[in-house]
Parts: sequence; structure tokens; C-alpha cells
Amino acid sequence: MLTRRDMLRAASAGAGFGYLAFLDQLVRAGDAKDATAAKAGHHPARAKRVIFLFMHGGPSQVDTFDPKPELDKRDGQELPFEPAKGTTVSKKLMKSPWKFKKYGESGIAVSDLFPETAKHVDDLCVINSMHTEGQSHGQAVLKLHTGDIALTRPSVGSWVTYGLGTENRNLPGFVTVCPTRGHGGAQNYGNAFLPAAFQGMAIGAAGVPASSATIKNVHNPEVPAELQRQQLDFMQQLNKEYAARAGVDDRLEATAASYELAFRMQAAVPKVTDIRSETKETLKLYGIGEKPTDEFGRQCLMARRFAEAGVRYIQVTHNSFKWDQHGNIKQHEPNAKEVDKPIAGLLADLKSRGLLKDTLVVWGAEFGRTPVTQGKDGRDHNPQGFTMWLSGGGVKGGHVHGATDEFGYHAVKDKVHMHDLHATILHLLGLDHEKLTYRHAGRDFRLTDVYGHVVKDLFA
Amino acid sequence: MPRLLLAAAALASGAVPLPTAAGQEKAADKAALAFFENKIRPVLVKECYSCHSAETRSGTGGLRKGGKGGLNLDTREGIRKGGDSGPAVVPGKPTESLLIHALHEDGVALMPPKGKLPDAVVADFEKWVKMGAPDPRDGKVAAVAGIDLEKGRQFWSFRPPQAHPAPAVTDAAWPAADLDRFVLARLEAAGLKPAADADPRTLIRRLHLDLVGLPPSPDEVEAFAKDPSPAAYAKVVDALLASPRFGERWGRHWLDLARYADSNGKDENLTFHEAYRYRDYVIRAFNQDKPFDRFVVEQLAGDLLPAKDQAERDDLLTATGFLVVGPKILAERDKPKLRWDVADEQIDTVGKAFLGLTLGCARCHDHKFDPVPTADYYALAGIFTSTRTVNGIKLGNAAVSGWMLRPLGGLGAEKAVAARAEYDAKLKKLQDEVKKAKADLAAVGEKAAARLPGKLLGFTVDNPDATFVGSWKPSTFTKPYVGDGYVHDDKAGKGEKSATFTPKLPKAGEYEVLVSYTGVTGRATNVPVTVVFDGGEKTVTLDQSKPPKIDGLFQSVGTFKFKAGSDGSVTLSNKGTEGHVIADAVRFVPAGELAKDPEMGMGVPSEVKAAAAEAEAKLKKLEADEAALKKDAPPAPRMVMAVRDEDKVEDAHINIRGNPAQLGAVVPRGVLQVATVGPKPTFPANQSGRKELAEWVASPANPLTARVAVNRVWHHLFGAGLVRTVDNFGIQGEKPSHPELLDTLAVTFAKNGWSHKKLIREVVLSRAYRQSIHNPQAVTADPENRLFGRATRRRVEAEVIRDTILTVSGKLDLNGGGPVVAHFPERAIDNQSQGGFNTDPILKRAVYLPVIRNDLTPLFEVFDFADPDVADGQRDATTVSTQALYLMNSTFANGQAKAAAERLIAEEPDAGKRFALLFRRALGRAPTAAEAAAATTFLADYKKAIDTLPTGQKPKDANLAAWSAVCLSVFGCSEFRFVE
Repeated sequence: MLTRRDMLRAASAGAGFGYLAFLDQLVRAGDAKDATAAKAGHHPARAKRVIFLFMHGGPSQVDTFDPKPELDKRDGQELPFEPAKGTTVSKKLMKSPWKFKKYGESGIAVSDLFPETAKHVDDLCVINSMHTEGQSHGQAVLKLHTGDIALTRPSVGSWVTYGLGTENRNLPGFVTVCPTRGHGGAQNYGNAFLPAAFQGMAIGAAGVPASSATIKNVHNPEVPAELQRQQLDFMQQLNKEYAARAGVDDRLEATAASYELAFRMQAAVPKVTDIRSETKETLKLYGIGEKPTDEFGRQCLMARRFAEAGVRYIQVTHNSFKWDQHGNIKQHEPNAKEVDKPIAGLLADLKSRGLLKDTLVVWGAEFGRTPVTQGKDGRDHNPQGFTMWLSGGGVKGGHVHGATDEFGYHAVKDKVHMHDLHATILHLLGLDHEKLTYRHAGRDFRLTDVYGHVVKDLFA
Repeated sequence: MPRLLLAAAALASGAVPLPTAAGQEKAADKAALAFFENKIRPVLVKECYSCHSAETRSGTGGLRKGGKGGLNLDTREGIRKGGDSGPAVVPGKPTESLLIHALHEDGVALMPPKGKLPDAVVADFEKWVKMGAPDPRDGKVAAVAGIDLEKGRQFWSFRPPQAHPAPAVTDAAWPAADLDRFVLARLEAAGLKPAADADPRTLIRRLHLDLVGLPPSPDEVEAFAKDPSPAAYAKVVDALLASPRFGERWGRHWLDLARYADSNGKDENLTFHEAYRYRDYVIRAFNQDKPFDRFVVEQLAGDLLPAKDQAERDDLLTATGFLVVGPKILAERDKPKLRWDVADEQIDTVGKAFLGLTLGCARCHDHKFDPVPTADYYALAGIFTSTRTVNGIKLGNAAVSGWMLRPLGGLGAEKAVAARAEYDAKLKKLQDEVKKAKADLAAVGEKAAARLPGKLLGFTVDNPDATFVGSWKPSTFTKPYVGDGYVHDDKAGKGEKSATFTPKLPKAGEYEVLVSYTGVTGRATNVPVTVVFDGGEKTVTLDQSKPPKIDGLFQSVGTFKFKAGSDGSVTLSNKGTEGHVIADAVRFVPAGELAKDPEMGMGVPSEVKAAAAEAEAKLKKLEADEAALKKDAPPAPRMVMAVRDEDKVEDAHINIRGNPAQLGAVVPRGVLQVATVGPKPTFPANQSGRKELAEWVASPANPLTARVAVNRVWHHLFGAGLVRTVDNFGIQGEKPSHPELLDTLAVTFAKNGWSHKKLIREVVLSRAYRQSIHNPQAVTADPENRLFGRATRRRVEAEVIRDTILTVSGKLDLNGGGPVVAHFPERAIDNQSQGGFNTDPILKRAVYLPVIRNDLTPLFEVFDFADPDVADGQRDATTVSTQALYLMNSTFANGQAKAAAERLIAEEPDAGKRFALLFRRALGRAPTAAEAAAATTFLADYKKAIDTLPTGQKPKDANLAAWSAVCLSVFGCSEFRFVE
């Protein structure tokens, strides 16, 4: 088999195969040592990829997936202990304005905010005992995405692609659809000290309609593709001339190859983000074309298409920062209306395509909300106890893990810290959070720093 | 020990009185001791001592001694005194004993870490603590537990540097300077020869890019190619060092270390409107060749230094921006913690930028690798927590902190600040009043404009009381209307919809019937209106596209006789109509009344009209006042990001495990013990101590500062430092490849007045620097080029790529400096931002582009710009496809390629010469024959391809399009992004 260097020499010497064919081989040969090439984890994986549905702002656990009869009963009464430090809440308990109903075989109760998602409750693994650090959004959002509230650390998706590489060489391994720019912004999908190849690629941004969301500079509005191909061929000739004079240098090969990958990427990305080929039924499933669900529906459908195309880590953000109800908790209702059907649609679609079994879907936010009031009828941030749920990818369905206290304030039973969730996600993907390290500034770094326990109770 | 003294000692230490000598134990305790011996001691020995005893050795080379976390479990005193986190065992109280918590993993990390001990063993420990933790083990905790500083001082970078005589070499003709002899000696020892000198064209491009970050002009290349003598070369070097472009290049290297940015980043990405003053100060400092020791002191303590005049005082204040431009978690709700976090960020930056040490590690524990005990960290922390960096609030939100801004211009400026603050307050008050007056006017105006059914003369039926057939849409779009709005037929269901208005008339009589609507184009012109009256029915048509006669709202359809009550009615239908039909209200006015009281006829009372007029007058006056105030506005003071000492200067408490809520002993302010040669600096009680810290950093006796600085210069000129881990001179860093050379350069640097320009001059004049990249023998023997037996091919930085493109296009604007984010809002980037400010129109050098944390301009983002969150002395040089996408598709690359093409076409009519000119401008050389031929073929083919495009896609000027593509190809080619 030809090595890259052999090929380069052959090409420089004008050996008899086309330059384009040569470049193509170069890219493929590059896969073997390219950092982003797919690689095996530390142990057999239960999930191949992750779709993280981020509810920026912090949905309230007691109004969604964590019913609290005692809170209903003591509505308006005083909280029998002190509220958490750093909050500006009253001690007045406030019951949920929504009713909870039991769903599915498992009979797990879900509030009327999520009637569609609730139909999939037998596929959900609900963690009611999440807790984390960061009383403010910025800190908690960074903690959720990077494992640290302040220091610049690689994002979960960057660690995952660093550990496993990507399955589609024409697409980035880690994409984030319509990400938020505040609260850490790009740091939440940044590679920090990991190699740049593991940076999350933003598809659009918060505020950009999902229908026009794409990768920056993936399209030249003025030059048609055929002409651009000619221009690249000319440039590659210049590269070849230079490489021949310069002697062997991997970086020169890599530069030439990066253009070929970019050229293919600009054909591949629109194919994934363009949902026109989907059937009417599928569009309906996600609520696309209907008013409150169109935007998030498109994002979720894009996520499925990226999953299908072999992208390793996909984040979808419900923007912009809607779930922060310091006043008027009832505003949760229009928020939920925007996401409930698309989420249910995504779960149904993944399942019917056989993708759910090896795709880990994660739903949640930076924190939950207090069971006591802030202002008249709002709730403050609550990192002390909240809900996230997982689905597919080797986790139990119809399962509830852990619990908060009787009011839904503090996680008390089988607590799952954000580090534990990170360790667990890595484990499901076949990665050992203690072994997935990167040496930087003289020491080995991990996503979970010196913390984190894999919560095996969640595994199917 | 006499009993009294013992008691006093116990009280003083706050410790639980220990059981005294074993002999005093009561017989009943014997069983308890036996329990210890059988159940507890063996477990401690087996499971705990390896990490928690006086014998424990950890760290590289056993630098650390004593138990981890300061905890020794091998004596009674040790177990009860505990470690950093507090007592491990409180006799009788298992819930207060951290050891028990650790065994359960309850709130603290699990011990032993490899796995939980059997439940029975844990139960034994609980029982033992409940018994009073009987423990016969005597012995003192070793007083010297912790880091062995003496051992630490022997590490190479903590020993003072010494100048060495240049070594003897065999090839005495090669060295041009002493430094060459150090390089050559190592090469010769390895049996290698240095590379030949680089060819003049290559060398001159390298020199220009290294010294000023811009390519040489074709004339400059040709001049040097013609006369590449050492004298000519030295002349070019001196000219470049004297050029204002030098500071823009080398100042940027420093800004990487100062983690410079124009916004905060992190959780609240607020704009740093004043940061640019610090950036310009840095560039000035390099252009003036400010002695580096002075540069250090100014940045750490400029505000505390004497100044000869106000201009210097302003400069010194500006310098301390170094401490303020870091990222902060501004919305941290725990404000004392924020203060610690900011001090930590400052210590980390000072450590990396000046000393090449990672000091942040020591916040929570003794440094794992370097001889930096936690106490040293808190000695530094006291200096920074006695300094005010965080100040005030932002976004009008008490939870979001701001940062220190100080006025430039001295005492007068303080007054100007006060005047401006007074003005701002007045203006805000006035603006609030204007806002209120506007709201008042709107409210009363609404009333004045409203036609209230109850106020209108006669009997009015408004649309909510009408009876509808078919669906009618409510609207308030076209004003005025009666009541809260009107309805319309949505231009649909023609012939199916009607609206019937039925009055409840108080008495029988003649009534004039008025139908209300506004006449607007697009409305139906033939709306049938059927009046059912006493004695008949009559249908008239209304033209709703024209304004009705009365008040633009009411149209009379005639006077009719009605009975009392609800017998009569008026029905509007959309039958036979085309435009919108609107139904608002129908009035039944006793005949003749309308003429008597025209005002009430419109339903607007005079007091309402008067109030509206008054509100309008009030608003006008306030607006006039605002304009007058603004006209006499005092000038906005010139503010700068700068620190000041806190009112109260205090030594810091150790934060146990970095937790500010858990305070340990107070540590007097001080500096790193391991890097202190000679007497320790003393710290004043009434100042933060930044000045003393700065003087210690900038002292020639500091073993790190000069070494770290000269190594950074070497790194920028050779692509790798003599110590390749440029930001880490600690034990985890790499050792120098040429220790004697590094030390000699460091000593000379300090001796030569800490002059960067002298040092850079010395290096670039050396033969080592002037080598070519080709040296096959050395490539094989020394693949990593640690011996510097050749030059290396280096990827140029993002700034060089951009500035070179602008140089070739002729668009580069060499006026630099000043504000760039003045137009940014208080929050540079928020959750709703679609982000991406457009830097394309800014044609200044890249060093002047806004650096927005978490939203870098795309070219910076893809080409490995330094992470502005942390001090970073060594940029990455990755190759990723997003770079290719940028150079293929970005508006910047395409726009500048076109500009470059336009310039070439205008300047050079001959195609062959034109291509050569492009190469000379962009790459500093003429194209080869093969390259020129390829270009000719490409131009012809490309134009041909353009011809085949459909008209819509065809560029206006095919020749320009083709040449733009040529320029884009040169900007994108690999040679463009490397320097040899």
C-alpha cells in the first residue's frame, strides 16, 4: 500500500495518475492518521452518537417531570427550611399550575406541558435528582457544556469527537444547531486546548431561522461550483509546484487536502440541512409548517439528518433563552408548545428508523427552578435539584432515577451531579471518563476533572 | 509538660484536649484501646498510610513530603488536627468527623479512593469515634510537611542565570556573533553542520514578516537581492526596528500574553469600550523600546508610581489595564467569591506571562509539580485582593458587576467626571420625564381620539353588540373607530356575511341614522345597508373606500321613524362587494340634535381636548429642556481600565481547598519563596504591595523573568523556544536545549537595559537566524530541530495572512490605534444576538480589529488566533477545512481578491508581467515557468467557462473575474501561509 509520502513523491515526479485522483487518495490515506478519523473507545459502546436538546434558561422540574403532591398540598404555605444561598426568592411554596397525568406502561407522570413527549415516556429515563454548580446562567451553562463554571475547558462534544472521531469525513464530527451566543457562547462548543479539529461547528445561530441555518462560509454566493472547481485546481497546481520544491512536509499535504475536504463539505452540508426531500408525514411529525413548532421542529429534524449522516455529537438549542421565568411561570406553556411536538416527533422518527437504539437523546438545561416563588408568580434558578432525561442509546426506558425532597427543591435520593451525567454519557459511548485525557500545560485534563461517577443504574 | 502549660497550649491551639500519657488511662479504657489496636490501626496502616503519613513522598522527584492534603493519619495529633479541610476525627462526634464522611462519601470525596470499605469496617470506625477515638499513638506531626523549598531551588529555572563565555568551535569562520558559537558548538558536538545561508529573497521575506508582520515590497526584495551584504542587511534590520509597524507586530505578541480583548466574554459578554487604550499603550511601549523591567512594573503597579507629568501619569494608569482586561464571571452572585476569582485570574496571568509558571494550581492545594506551596499563592492573593478590579454594576442589574474605570487627565479629570456624572443624572431624569410625558400624551390623546359609544350624542350600537352572520375579523388597524375597534369581512365569503345593529331606543320618534367607518382605498365601494324602520325597509349603498362626511367617521344614511324599543335595525352586508367591508357602529340621533351640539356630536368632551393640548405643550417644553441640557453637556471624561488599591489593605486567609467560605490561616503578603534570591521584599501596611511585587518580578535577581522574556523572543524568531514550553518553566516544562545560551542571553538582556530591540537585533543578525531551511543531514539527525541547525518552515499567524492580503490588494490602512468598539452596546453579545459583527470594512492592521471573546472575527477564529481568555505565548498552527472554506468563500477573501485584481489590471497591462507582479507582492518572488504557464492556461479556461454560463450568472467583466480567481488562488495557496 502506498503511504502518503510515497504518493506525494509519485505525484511530484509526475507519475501517471491524475492529480485529482491523487488528492482524493491523499485525503483517504490521511484518514488513518487524521485526528478526526473514527476510532474505537475504551469499552464496547451502547450508543454511537448523542443528540442533546438544550432548553436554555432552565425549565422547572416541578412543572414538567417531577410531580410533588406535597407542594400541591402546601401551596401558599411557608418553606420549612432556608432557601438556597444566592437566590432572591420568598419562602412561599407555589404548586404547579399544570396537572400531572400518568402515561404508558410505566405509568410515569408527566405534566400537561408535555403531552406529546409523554406518549414516549416508556422510552425515557428520567433523572429527577440532577444537581450542579452555578447559581447564574452563565456559570451553569458553562458547567453543563464544559464541566467548569469559569475556566476555559473543552465542550462535551469536543471530548466525544476527540475520543471517537467522526464517521463521516465530509461533515464535522460535532455540530450545534442554532446555538446561543450569550452565557459563554462559542465557549460552550469550543475545543479549548484540544486540537481545533474537535471544535463544534455552528449551524446558524440563535435568532437565525432554522430554515436558513448553515455553516459559515460554506457557500460562495458569486462563483458557481464549476468555476470554483477550476479555481481550486489551479491553486492545487500552485500547491503542487511548491510542495515539489519544498520537500516533504505533512503540513503542505494537509493544506492541499483541506481544500478538497472543504469542497466536498460544501456539497455535503446543504444536503443534510435541506429538508425538502422529507415526506409530508415526516414534516408533520415534527410540527414543521405549523406555527409554534415550525422552528424547533426544523432543528430537531436536522438533528436526525445529521445523526443519520454519521455526525457524532449533535446539539439542538431551544433559543433564545426562553425558559427563564422569574415572573409568570405560566410562560412555560408557550415555550413547551414550541418544543413538545418536535421532541416527540424526533423520538418517534428515530425509533421508526432504528436509530434510537444507538442514539442517546439527552434533554435538559443548565438548572431547574425553585418550588418557592420569586416575585408574584415566578421561580428562581435552582441548581440544587432538577430534572434531565435520557432516551435510547442503551438507557432504561420508562425509568425514573433519583428524587428531590418533598417540595422538589434539593436532590436527595441517588443524586446525579453534572459530572456524573458527563461520566455516564461518555461511558454509554464507550469512553472511560477517567481515561479520556489530554495533556496540556503540564498535566492531564479530563472532562470530569477529578470528579464523576458513572450512574450504571440508568443502563438498560 | 506541666499541666498548666499543656492546658494553655491546648486552648491556644483551639484543639480538643488530648488524653495525656498512656499511663493515666483508666482500666475501662483498656478495652477501648484494644478495639483500636484490633479494628482500627490495621485498617489505617493498610488503607491510609501510603498517602497520609509523615513518610509519604509525592510530586516529581519526591519534592513533596508529608500526607496528601496536609493530612497525616499516623499519629493521634495528626488524625485529630486533620489536614487542609479540618479535623479528621472529632472524638465522640462521628457527624463532625471528616474521616467518617469520607468513608461514606458523604459531602466529601470517597476514601480510600479506590473503593468503599466494607460496611462492617465503616461501622467500626463510627463506633470508635463515638467511644472518644481512643488512640495511643504518640508523636508530633512533622513540622516541615509540605514542599521542600531547598530542593526546589536547585531546579535549573530557580537558580539565578549566569553568563557563560562563548564556547570554542571548530568552524571559526561561521559564527557572526557569540550566540552563533553556542549554537555551532552543540551542532559540532552532534557531528552536524549548520545549513547554508538562506537565499536573499527568502531571508528578506522572513525578516519583514518576523519584525513588522508585513511582506517586503517588490522593490525592497529586489534591492536586497542586488546587495545582500551584511551591511545592507543590518541597514534593513535597523529600518524595520525603527518602523512604527514593529510595535504593531511585537505588541501583538505581548497582547497574546495579556489575554487582551475588547469584551468580557464568559457569562456576561459586556463591551470593554476603553480597552483599546491599553492595546495602544502596549504598541507604543514596543515602538519606544520601553525597557522590559519598566514595562513589567508599569503594568502591575503603574498607578502607584511617581510620574513627571500628567501625560506620564495617564500612561502609567493605562498600563494597569493589564490587570483589568481579563475575563470575569460578572454575574457571579457570591461577590466575595468573584473577588477571589478575579485575583486568581490575575495571579494565573502574572505567573504565565512574566514567570512562565502555572500558579493557579496552588489555589486549592500545594502545587503538585512545582515548588509553590499554597501559602505562597495566598501571599500573592493578598496583594490582588487588596487591589480593586471589580467595581460597580452593569446593565442596571445589581447581580452583574462592573470593573474599575479611572479618568485620565488628573485632578481636573476627577472634577470632569463628577460634572459628567451630574449631567448624566440630570439628563436621565429629564429623559424619564420626557418618556412619561409622551406616555401621558399618548394616553390622553387616545382618549381625545376615542369615540366612546356612551359619550356620543344619541343612541349608539357598537360592533360588540351587533349580531353577525359569517365570520368577521376584529381589527384596530385603521383609526379612528367607535369603542375598542371594528370588524371586517376579511374580503372573503362574499354574499354570506352580514352585521345587524339593533338599538334599544328610549322613545319613539324621528332618528337620523349614522353608520361609522373610515374610508380607505381597498374597501368595498358598494356596501348594501338595509334600514328596518317603523313602516318599512330601505336599502342604500355606501362607498367605504371614501371618508364619510362627518368627522371622517360617520355617514348619514337618512332620517327614519322608529318605535320605542328594539323593533328597528340596520344591517350591513357584503353581498355583491369586492373590497373589504367593515362594520364598526351605527348611531341613532334624534332628528335635528346633531346641528345643535356639533362637539358632543363627535363624542369628545372639551376637558379631554384641553388635557391633550396641555400634555402636548408639556412634552414640547421638556424636549426643549433636554435639547438645551445636551447643548451644554460637559465633555465625556476620558476613562481607562485601571486598578486602584482597596481602601483597606489586608493579608489573605488561605481558602481551604480554594473555597472562600472556608478560611484557614492568614498569610502575610509576599512573593514566591522558591524564586526569591536574597532578602524577601517587605510589604507596606497602607498599599496593596503591587509595587513591591512588580519590583521583585522585574529584578535582575529574579531567576525567571529575563529567561522567560528572551526565550519568547527566540520562540518568535525561530519558531520554537530554547525552552519549547514557553509558558512553563516549571518542573513539567521542557528543559532548555541550550541552557548556557539561554542564561547568557538573559543576563545580557538585563544588562543591556532590558531592551527588546537590542536583543532582537542581535538574534536576527546572527547566522543561526539567517540559515536556510534545507539541511538534509540535520533533518535526519535532529528531526525536531532542537539544535537549530536550519531554519524551520513556520505557519504565519492570522494577522499576517490578513495584512498581507490587504497589502497585495493595496487597501491596507496604516493609520492605527483608537477605539474600535465605540458603537457596540453595553453587552457586546447577548442571547438574542445573531452575532458576527462585520470586520470587512475595517482596513486597519489586524492588531486593531475588535477582539470579541466568544465571537472572534472568522479569520481569527479559523487561523488559530490566541485564546483571549488566557495568557498564551504559543499559538497553534492547525490545518483545518474551515480555513479552506474561509479562503474560498468569505466576503473578505473574495472582496480583497477582486480589489487586488483591479489594482493589478490598472497597473500592469501585460498578463505575464501582471502575474509576476502578483507573485512578487504576495510571495516575494517571481513565478516559475511552470507556474506562469499554469496561470495562462487557467485564465483562458476560466474565461471560456464564464462564457458558457447563463446570462444571469455571468460576471460583468470576465477578465476581472478571472484575475480575481487568480488572486484568490494565490491567497489560498500553501506557500502564502508559510514563511521559510
